[in-house]
Amino acid sequence: MIKIRQKNIIKNIHRYTPITLLYISVLNEFDFNNLGSTYFSFNFSYILIFYYSLKKSESLGYIYIFIAGLFNDVVIGTPIGMSSLIYLILCGAAAYLRNITLRPSLIKDSIFFLITILIINSLLFMSLNFIFNYELNYFDQIINITYTFLFYFLFSNLFDIFESYFVSNNNAR
Amino acid sequence: METGRDDFVIAIRSAFLKKGTQQGFSLLSLIFFSIILLILGNLNFKIINYLKITINEIVYRSSFIVSGPENFIKNNYIILNNHFNLYKKNEKNIDELNFLRGKDLSQQIIILENIKYKKLIDDYFIIDNETVAKVLIDKQSPFLRSLIINKGSKNNIKLGMIVLDEGYLVGKIVEVNYLTSRVLLISDINSKIPVSLQPGDIQAIMSGKDKQEGVLQYTKDKNLPKINGKTQVITSGAGGLFKSGIPIGEIEFNEDLKINEDKIINFHRDFSQLQYVKVLSFSKEKNFLDISSKNNAKIVEIEIKETNQQLENLRILQEQKKIADEIRVKIQKENYFLRNERVRLKNEILTEKKNNQKNKIQDEEIRFLEMNLYFGHKCRKNIFNDRYKVGTSEYRKCVLSKGLIKKND
Repeated sequence: MIKIRQKNIIKNIHRYTPITLLYISVLNEFDFNNLGSTYFSFNFSYILIFYYSLKKSESLGYIYIFIAGLFNDVVIGTPIGMSSLIYLILCGAAAYLRNITLRPSLIKDSIFFLITILIINSLLFMSLNFIFNYELNYFDQIINITYTFLFYFLFSNLFDIFESYFVSNNNAR
Repeated sequence: METGRDDFVIAIRSAFLKKGTQQGFSLLSLIFFSIILLILGNLNFKIINYLKITINEIVYRSSFIVSGPENFIKNNYIILNNHFNLYKKNEKNIDELNFLRGKDLSQQIIILENIKYKKLIDDYFIIDNETVAKVLIDKQSPFLRSLIINKGSKNNIKLGMIVLDEGYLVGKIVEVNYLTSRVLLISDINSKIPVSLQPGDIQAIMSGKDKQEGVLQYTKDKNLPKINGKTQVITSGAGGLFKSGIPIGEIEFNEDLKINEDKIINFHRDFSQLQYVKVLSFSKEKNFLDISSKNNAKIVEIEIKETNQQLENLRILQEQKKIADEIRVKIQKENYFLRNERVRLKNEILTEKKNNQKNKIQDEEIRFLEMNLYFGHKCRKNIFNDRYKVGTSEYRKCVLSKGLIKKND
């Protein structure tokens, strides 16, 4: 009985960790997106959404991502619906990659991720700048994209380890 | 080639239209929904505004709770850090205190003088509405450098109010919800503030650049005069957005700084360490009333009432006079008409009288002529008698008395 309960707890942790991480990264004051340094910032939400949409699409529901986007808009002050749109396009790109990939590899995934974040950040920059009259620092954007791309390797491996730990745990029981 | 295109279409369709496992909505429908939200939000649609306010209230509070543990660690780290540096800081503070005590008196005098001059130029200097607020969220996103405070429209916070931290400018209110508000920091790239550089009174516009830096965007004089050392940057008050003279930061000029180089402003306050801020607005001087002036005002009010009453009476009398005048004019007209009528009738009577007289004379003449036919021979003078000559008044009398009058001779 205790074993079953423990198994359920571990299952739930495994199931809800990505969502929890996403919401913490969106709501938390300590933003992975900007660690206070001028020449260092990366978007953790992009990495998380892309990885889980690609590898384990059932972990992050689209509706949760949509709501997380709305929350992100409210917290950072962008027009409501903008982050949701960006997150969903990222999900779409990941789903497309998942459909066309036969043999997954980290390099291919990361290159596709780079192209995707370049496109979505361009879209974000253009819409914020030309439609909503927000002035953005182009240099900040480039730094953000570069570090997000570089950190994809690190977080992808960390998430792999996390997933394999739970899978092995489940199988062992 | 065609197979490749088909694969692409199938993959796209599968990615965007197919509902995955445990997915309530398809991706495409959610994308459309986001776009609709964006468009309606841009058009200031009422429902979207309500939705935004609701999400704001929920998110700001939950974000504050989620940030709790991390804030706890951060605050403890700051406390520990301060604790270790306590001795050094104390020594430094004592030196500063002694130095500042000397300055305090002269500053008080300057403030009083400043108020006097501002009164003269009709500037904003009276604090109208002051509220102390706690910083709920200090999320320094790369898009917008802003923070959320725990006071909103419920506490009379209004758009455009300025936010200070110990007298130094921090930002201004750009979004007001019922219980929370968003402050746009002066370090944000979208923040444009009219500033003045002292000494020299050079006017410029400052924009945010980085977390702790601002940059002079437009200066009145591109070639700034050669200044060595620090230049203070304060609000100029141009445009009436901010009160003039609020300190912002300083620019360090040195010989290496070229003319075309960006002039970087180092802010006085560290915006990442803000816990409590002051939100306030300024207004021009008002005339405040004491008790005696209030009594005077009451007396004046009563006098005004009485005067108004008298004015009303006067107005009624004037109305009455007007009516009486009208009646008088009417009567005068009638009188004039009647007088004319009387004169006309008098003339008519006179004419009538004359006619009557004429007729009477004519009648007498006719009667005379008639009688003359009958009795003329009895009165007429001839060779046989000594009567009256025809045409004389005696003859006429004689004829009219039917010839009975006889001459005495």
